[in-house]
Amino acid sequence: MDLFSIYNMKYKDYDIDHFITDEFFIQWIKNPNENNNHFWEKWIEQHPEKRPLVNEAANLIRSVEYANDPEFTDRMYTETFEQILKADNHFRQLEAVSPTKISTTPTKNVNYFFFVRGVAASILVLFGLWAQYQAFNFKPESVEIPEIALITRTNPSGQKSIIDLPDGTKIHLNAESEIEFPQEFSADIRFVSLKKGEAFFEVQKELRPFWIQTGKAKIRVLGTSFNVKKIGTESLQVALVTGKVSVDTENGSRMRLEPNEMLVIEDGGKYQKTDFDPKEVIGWKDNYLVFKISGLPEIRRKLEQWYGVKIELKGDFDEKWTYSGIYKDEMLENVLRGICMTSGMNYKINKKQIILTNPK
Amino acid sequence: MNHNPKLPNNELSTIYPLDHSESIKVYETKSDVDIWNAFNSGDEIAFNYIYRMYVTVLFKYGCQMCKDKYHVQDCIQNVFIDLRRKRGQLNEVQNTKAYLFKILYRELIRKSNKSKEEVHQYPEKIGKNFFIEFSQETKLIQQEIQQEKIEIIKIAINKLTCRQRQAILLLYKEGMTYTEISIAMDFSEVKSARKVIYRALATMKTLLQTKSENEV
Repeated sequence: MDLFSIYNMKYKDYDIDHFITDEFFIQWIKNPNENNNHFWEKWIEQHPEKRPLVNEAANLIRSVEYANDPEFTDRMYTETFEQILKADNHFRQLEAVSPTKISTTPTKNVNYFFFVRGVAASILVLFGLWAQYQAFNFKPESVEIPEIALITRTNPSGQKSIIDLPDGTKIHLNAESEIEFPQEFSADIRFVSLKKGEAFFEVQKELRPFWIQTGKAKIRVLGTSFNVKKIGTESLQVALVTGKVSVDTENGSRMRLEPNEMLVIEDGGKYQKTDFDPKEVIGWKDNYLVFKISGLPEIRRKLEQWYGVKIELKGDFDEKWTYSGIYKDEMLENVLRGICMTSGMNYKINKKQIILTNPK
Repeated sequence: MNHNPKLPNNELSTIYPLDHSESIKVYETKSDVDIWNAFNSGDEIAFNYIYRMYVTVLFKYGCQMCKDKYHVQDCIQNVFIDLRRKRGQLNEVQNTKAYLFKILYRELIRKSNKSKEEVHQYPEKIGKNFFIEFSQETKLIQQEIQQEKIEIIKIAINKLTCRQRQAILLLYKEGMTYTEISIAMDFSEVKSARKVIYRALATMKTLLQTKSENEV
């Protein structure tokens, strides 16, 4: 008798059916112990004619495997374990950091505290404690470095910069943006914090993971280049060019991005994944000023950020009017001329003050 | 003589991927309830034990409903983080493995529901999951059965519904009892688990019968 005929048997023979659906039998095959061994060995002794049947049933049960069988590597095993403990520690640190806040929360709703108050309040503190935990946990000899010097780079409007980190990572920091990073990365992790604004990261691939904290979300880099834009207080935009990143949000979700995907998290946690126009989203780092069906408020904001000017609007403006155009390394006056040519507006430059008027 | 025809590579080798630790020694004789209670009261060795015992099987199981193994890894991570956070308030768990399978399954569903694309793909995704393979490591099978017959069974078994295949894998691959299957699959009654299996096997028979009659 073979496997095929086992299944192909007519209803007259219930034996094999009985075996392969009997949990006591299955348990003997899959989880043998003294108890079931004793029973089944005795039973077979008494019913020797059933031995082939038992063997077939056992073989059938044993041959069932998952079709998809990826390996859970030792590395994944350790990584997962560390992440679990880290999250735990994270949480405990937050409780420790703001004890007064806990006591003023009568419900002691830990989730509420964790997401709404803790992280938003003290990103820098969180990093410091966490880094110490890292040192304590994984690299005891590095404890002798008691404090990690943090460097903050801030760009005002009208100024962009490129920052080279000691590990070889390159950061393009946009105007009106601020980033913080340690003078030296620890032995285990590379961690930077985008305080506000927008930055394009070209992360050097190496063993240490690279993390970017932005408000309540944390971006984990798996070797790669991408753009991060923090809009307002809560919302976040992550656009991936090459490589892989994953984004952990405040509510605990983790999203992975593939190249050419952009994740937009709005205030309140709603998010969506889209594709994006690279020129529009990351052109700024190569000095492309891009307007794509932009309304006046957006144009105004971009120009103020890009050139470090203040723009005043005079007159009535059509809300439905939009403008599209690309400028590279262009003087403000030329950009204004371009915009005004298609719109019929007039501009006036007075040092850092621009006045846009609509004669209509 | 031991009549239990064991496979050469014992199942247990996959359960303990790393060296046995102290936690294994301390806990291997204790019941699931005791270990769970110890974990709930903050015992780190108990947590260590639970992690070591189940993380690999959880991973393999999770990969049956999601092709992205890193996503499965993340979900497992979330499941354990969540459990650790709720220590002190966890309900008693009679059967750790079945319970962990249940909450991982829920987490994977929750996560797939979250992104829009996944939701759209969802019905199709579910239908494509929990595929079954027949290992041919067992010599008996190799000798007696030709490759094509195994293929025929494989095709038939993978024509079953996704839930049926899930139950079959829990029963045979994971060696779960019907009670455990009903927990892992979120059934309210044990008999639902039995029903799924019986129905699956009945369907299998019909499929194979039709096939062989056609061949005659």
